[in-house]
Amino acid sequence: MSVLKEMFENLTHKPATILYPKEKVPIPPAFRGRIAIRDEKCIGCSKCAVVCPTQCITMVANERPVEVKGKTITRKKKPEVELFACIRCGLCEEYCPTDPKAIYLTNEFSGAGTDKGVVVK
Amino acid sequence: MAEVIVPVGPQHPALKEPVNFKVVADGETIVRLELDVSYNHRGIEKAAESRDFVRVVPLLERVCGICSHSHTTVFTKGIEEAMKLTIPPRAQYIRTIVAELERMHSHLLWLGVAAHEVGFNTLFMWTWRDREAVQDMLEEMTGNRVNYGTNEVGGVRRDLTPEQIQAALKRLPKLEERLAKYAEMVNAEETMLLRFKGVGHLTKEQALQLGAVGPTARASGVDYDIRRDDPYIAYADIPWKVITDTHGDVYGRTLVRVGELQQSLEMIRYCLQNLPAGPIRTAPPRAAPRAEILTRYEAPRGELVHFIRTNNTDKVERLDIRTPTLANWTSVAVSLVNQNLADIPVIVAAIDPCLSCTSRITVVNPKGRHVGEMTWDELSEHGREFYRRRGRR
Amino acid sequence: MDPILLAVYILVFPGFVFLLGYAFLFEFLDRKIYARMQNRVGPPLVQPFADFVKMLGKEVIDPKGVDRRAFDVAPILALAAVMTAFLYVPVVASSPLAFQGDLVVVLYLMTIPTIVLFLLGWLSRNVYATIGGVRAVTQMFIYEVPFYLAMLAPALMAGAAGGWSVSGIVAWQQHNLWFAVYQPIGLVVAIIGLQAKLERTPFDIPEAETEIVAGPTTELTGRRLALMKLTTDVSLVVGSALVAALFLGGPLLPWTFSPNWLGWTVGFVVFLAKTLAVLLVLSSIKAATGRIRIDQLNDIGWKYLASAAVLQVFLALLMNYYLVGANA
Repeated sequence: MSVLKEMFENLTHKPATILYPKEKVPIPPAFRGRIAIRDEKCIGCSKCAVVCPTQCITMVANERPVEVKGKTITRKKKPEVELFACIRCGLCEEYCPTDPKAIYLTNEFSGAGTDKGVVVK
Repeated sequence: MAEVIVPVGPQHPALKEPVNFKVVADGETIVRLELDVSYNHRGIEKAAESRDFVRVVPLLERVCGICSHSHTTVFTKGIEEAMKLTIPPRAQYIRTIVAELERMHSHLLWLGVAAHEVGFNTLFMWTWRDREAVQDMLEEMTGNRVNYGTNEVGGVRRDLTPEQIQAALKRLPKLEERLAKYAEMVNAEETMLLRFKGVGHLTKEQALQLGAVGPTARASGVDYDIRRDDPYIAYADIPWKVITDTHGDVYGRTLVRVGELQQSLEMIRYCLQNLPAGPIRTAPPRAAPRAEILTRYEAPRGELVHFIRTNNTDKVERLDIRTPTLANWTSVAVSLVNQNLADIPVIVAAIDPCLSCTSRITVVNPKGRHVGEMTWDELSEHGREFYRRRGRR
Repeated sequence: MDPILLAVYILVFPGFVFLLGYAFLFEFLDRKIYARMQNRVGPPLVQPFADFVKMLGKEVIDPKGVDRRAFDVAPILALAAVMTAFLYVPVVASSPLAFQGDLVVVLYLMTIPTIVLFLLGWLSRNVYATIGGVRAVTQMFIYEVPFYLAMLAPALMAGAAGGWSVSGIVAWQQHNLWFAVYQPIGLVVAIIGLQAKLERTPFDIPEAETEIVAGPTTELTGRRLALMKLTTDVSLVVGSALVAALFLGGPLLPWTFSPNWLGWTVGFVVFLAKTLAVLLVLSSIKAATGRIRIDQLNDIGWKYLASAAVLQVFLALLMNYYLVGANA
């Protein structure tokens, strides 16, 4: 019966539950959330598409001149992410060569949806 | 009363994962048990063969929802051994911190589930509330509550900042206090003691004979822990001790797990305070030389074994996963006999089963003494045929 | 009593309408207290009623090979029995329907839900339900003896003045002390027995979720399940009110009030306070324990509870002889 004391103490305390849509937990800065793409930074190197474990990143044709290490080249492709196949592992961000990262994980955690085919461009 | 067959699972409130026992009971007493664990075969071992060492790690992380770090650590450890890499000590310590946090959240979860199986929902809610602190620590350090994405071949992917270390150290005293309370509760709660003591008994001889591992074996007095007997990552440098118990029943397993919780907390504190400086990764070569490696790890549920065969490429040729639950199943079948029907959930839960990790299939032809595997087409044809036959009956 | 007033008493207040509303409130409070003790939020106020309405609208599924009519009637029988039992329990003052020996009728009617559970389990043709039904009856044989002995000990002590009627026993306590003072052992046994009767933790053995899914109610759906849940709630009210009446003096206070309406209002408030106090005790027991096994309940029930109840009856007889006998 060692629980009795704590049980009655709990009656006077606020519940530990966080009422989600009204209250939100603080999100740590390191949190791996929804994926996002900074298209103006992308050089079309395809590293993210190669390293992605679920192969949810596809490179689509998109021609545009970009600057790499002081030289201007023409990028041929840009990534598109099938959002609900993404497992938020962060490997694409890690392998992305640009600064700031052209493909990265945001802190946004709520990712539910009804459209299975959402594509992040 | 005549013998009754009580089906437990694959959908059953006590076991949230798909497993099926046919419990043959005489009134309220269990006579014997028929087990079927192959409900959720996911083909992960096969899938691992087609991914390179970078992309296979997130896959292996998803073998198990709770011991996700265990599977990646044991795998990267094996591959690093094949590549003959030396991993920087800071990476080893970070791996240890995450591993012990994972053990804590797994054991706290278990404590709650065990209480829930005997209807003691108050303790269930409290342990899961306090488990949130551990999960928050993991989230702050690794970026996720499960599937931490910390490991890679050659080191860890994320470094710990001094702020993160301080924040984690600040959370520990509160957690320590709660653990002390739970240690007291498992010895003082009458109804829990009634349901745990003498239930699901496994002697030391039986535990050794049936190959039980982890807390299940240690509760029967088997002094065996991979962290001490075959030290890996940073365990050789950390002061800690193996918790054993001689009760051999569910109560003993509870005591072992609560003891391990307290040990884990101390280990995490030591690692956070004595985190060596330096790099967190070494650049691994792309391919691993031809080798066969058996690598072992003390997961929260017991000894986890990966057998890895590499063949000079950047993929594994064969990966075999022996999860601790598979090693403990036979002990369940033995310790259930002659117990009360009401004790099924708690005895099964006492080994902390993780069933989806355990499901696998091997085709054995007893006449030709042939053991083999099925191709995907054969398997789907077998499935269709099986259900067609069932439907006809 | 005026027939119209009697009809109002039975049907509206404090009869069926009040009873159903109070039953939902009781379930809400039970769940809320349970949740707050576990540091959770718990359900909103109308949740039990919403659950009930929702379940009434759900499809009724007949398992293969089940006697449909028996399955339909059984929950209604259980509900009717416990609702009838409530009519003899004093709420604002003595029940107008009281007669000599109605305590026995109330106890008898309160046993019917357990029998119905067994029947449902047996009819279900489902192994979980059958085991649950058998457990329900086994458990009944264990708790019923100590529970009855504890409940009848006040009647013994009140003697002819009480007339073995709940209202009579309450009236007796108006002039003497509460039976909780005379018979503390009986009160403890009655509360434990009530917890077992209502199949709440630690005695929720017949419907142990993690063992046998939902026990006898496994195959119930739609309105059948709604009615069985409502029966449980009503039983909770009746049980608490009965304990409050027999051991805590029911709605009456040592003083009488005039006019009558003032007395009834005070009585009603006292009734609410006492039943809620009993509920708090029952909920605390539920939150502080785990479920025991049927063989362990057998040990506890016959070794300790039954002995305690017999001892209490013996003490009551002794007290009758020395204390009450001396006054009479």
